[in-house]
Amino acid sequence: MSETPSTTDIHDIELRSSIDRSLRHPVMFFFASGSIWLVLGILLGFIASAKKHAPEFLDCISWIDAGKVDAAHLSALVYGWGCQAAFGMIIWLMARLTRKECTASGIILVAGHLWNLIIMVGIVTILAGQGSGVTLMAFPSYIWVSLLVVYLMITLWSLVQFQVRDAGHVYVSQWYLLAGLLWFPWILGSAIFFVFASEGHPLMAAAVAAWFKSGVFLLFLLPTALASAYYLAPKVTGRPVYSYNVALFGFWALAFLGPWAGFQRLMGAPIPQFLPYAGAAAMVLILIPALAVGLNILKTIQDQKELAAQSPSLRFTTSGIVLFIIFGVLSFGLNTVPAIKMTQFSYTGYGLDILAIYGVFSLCAFGAIYFIVPRVTRREWLSSRFITWHFFLSLYAVASIVCCAIIGGIIQGQGMEDLSQPFGTMAERSSSYGWGITIAWAFLLVANFVFCLHLLLMWARLGRRSSHPTLLQNHHPESPHGPEGEIDNIGSVNA
Amino acid sequence: MTFKAFILGMLATFGLPWLFAIVLPFAEMRGLESPQLDEEGEYYDPGRAERISEGSKIYGQEGCAVCHSQVVRPTYAGWDVHRGEWAGLRASPDQPDDTRRETLPSDYFDEAVAHIGEARNGPDLSNFGRRVEFYQKGKEISAEQWVYLHLYNPRGVKNYKDDQFIPAKSTCPSKRSLFDQVPLYQAGDDALALEANEEGFAVIPNDRGRRLAGYLLSLKKDTLGQPLPKDWTFTREAPKAE
Repeated sequence: MSETPSTTDIHDIELRSSIDRSLRHPVMFFFASGSIWLVLGILLGFIASAKKHAPEFLDCISWIDAGKVDAAHLSALVYGWGCQAAFGMIIWLMARLTRKECTASGIILVAGHLWNLIIMVGIVTILAGQGSGVTLMAFPSYIWVSLLVVYLMITLWSLVQFQVRDAGHVYVSQWYLLAGLLWFPWILGSAIFFVFASEGHPLMAAAVAAWFKSGVFLLFLLPTALASAYYLAPKVTGRPVYSYNVALFGFWALAFLGPWAGFQRLMGAPIPQFLPYAGAAAMVLILIPALAVGLNILKTIQDQKELAAQSPSLRFTTSGIVLFIIFGVLSFGLNTVPAIKMTQFSYTGYGLDILAIYGVFSLCAFGAIYFIVPRVTRREWLSSRFITWHFFLSLYAVASIVCCAIIGGIIQGQGMEDLSQPFGTMAERSSSYGWGITIAWAFLLVANFVFCLHLLLMWARLGRRSSHPTLLQNHHPESPHGPEGEIDNIGSVNA
Repeated sequence: MTFKAFILGMLATFGLPWLFAIVLPFAEMRGLESPQLDEEGEYYDPGRAERISEGSKIYGQEGCAVCHSQVVRPTYAGWDVHRGEWAGLRASPDQPDDTRRETLPSDYFDEAVAHIGEARNGPDLSNFGRRVEFYQKGKEISAEQWVYLHLYNPRGVKNYKDDQFIPAKSTCPSKRSLFDQVPLYQAGDDALALEANEEGFAVIPNDRGRRLAGYLLSLKKDTLGQPLPKDWTFTREAPKAE
């Protein structure tokens, strides 16, 4: 553990370990089952991507044919992995930050099992061709309603913890956690009501579904990831957040812009015309919170580059934050009206989605998992090599997916605008980029298979019993053979 | 920041967009009626076959919208009207009127959700039914049969327009789950004209297949032979290649 015990904070350490103990089962359950969904979601993503350029691939199995498998892929990734990783992070971070033990871990654990069951039913329904038929909300309506109920069972306790906290300073991570906790039921409830429950215009149903999909990232997964980054960066480096005011500004900028985004997917469709423009403007301006939050966190860990290289949590979190800045820049460039005109119906949107879900959210979530799991299991990670593989394969694979999708999408869009070319030529032009995406998914599958295995071993409490965290690099051993004993963990107490 | 300020801020930053971008547009769009074709009050009626909503749902469930769009964007948002015959039939000796037009809100009536589409890995389908019917007219394979053959094996059917096989180009999945294999004597008129049928068996579309094909053939977003109202027109000149 990162703290050296002294007489003054011995009570603190006891409190922290009792909080960790109270949350061990739900947190580990969310992370472990989330990582299994992650592997499954990536496998489905590989199949879905392969089918886009090689339609005969696995053609004999009709329940994973193209179209259905796309929906199953994104649903598994977002609701199986993303939401569950977020739940694990939320309940642990909120308990640590409010300094309250969790008293409802049994209920949370039961709700976690229900969540998995519902997602499983939902994915099977999609693959059986019995989904809702709404492109961005593919689960049938009863699945969404049950997810909302189970969500409340999982997160209500974190709200209660916040409410009964000891008076005092509310830390920036808590704003993000609290905001995400409140936004998610609001957007999900609205989406259920406007898409499924009430008879409206079919175009508005499509618009609300697009808004919901955008909201799941910008208003739930992203705030959770940023809460974790704001927690880990100061914690691991032992320095305060660079600027409180910039943190405040970044938070309100996201809160102000996030709820408007999503409608840009319907640019040109006959809905009230300001909606797609508002969505596009919000997505362009996302660069502002991305820069504010990103630079604030990067400034916090500046001068601690060695630490960022050694500590898995900090390395993943930093990469996630850098990718958030890149997301802001790309979103700025790709959501101007001429760019949307070109790339609206191409791979580009998918590239941005994957950058958001895997690049930004998941890397931050991995950072949090590498930090939290040793604390709740009281075991250290088994292998720094596994973590290194996971890191580099993840980073390069997600970068390849995003580059291929965005460049391929632009080429696709250019082909579409070139009216002298027949449609078929344009589809062929982008297919090599489709190959690139498929191959990158295969690498991502390997990375997360390693991660999932590592995490499951930790869940089984097979981690190292050691007081030294697993770090990624050994620096300057005094002799060529290093000192006696724990060769892997020389000279650092931080993780 | 106090908790009260936080909650008020949340209500303002989220509540306002929720109200102005979701609730009010939803209410506004809900009351929308079919546009009038002329001043005498004749309404534009898409005149689509019944059971559209079920076919539309199957279209979504099968994930067609992942690769096919259903929107003809106005020229400020894209040059869809000028791309092939996505927006309607162009003037030709068999077809005196140019019926291309942009999408209207009423084009999606009777569907639960408008399938705007995610990407255009395949062509836009706004006027798919119109195109297939027009080009399959008088050929030995009926429009309906063509759709079935395409759904069953997209790379095994000749393109309706130029009679060319499209094996290398099409990446459309074959939706075999929409078809059943039955003994020949049960097949009836809908049996697919496949060359590689198993001895004594035929392939026929099942209920889902029929509804999806019915929906696809109902995709006709031009003017149904009526002259184009003035305010629906757009620049007929295709933009010059840059």
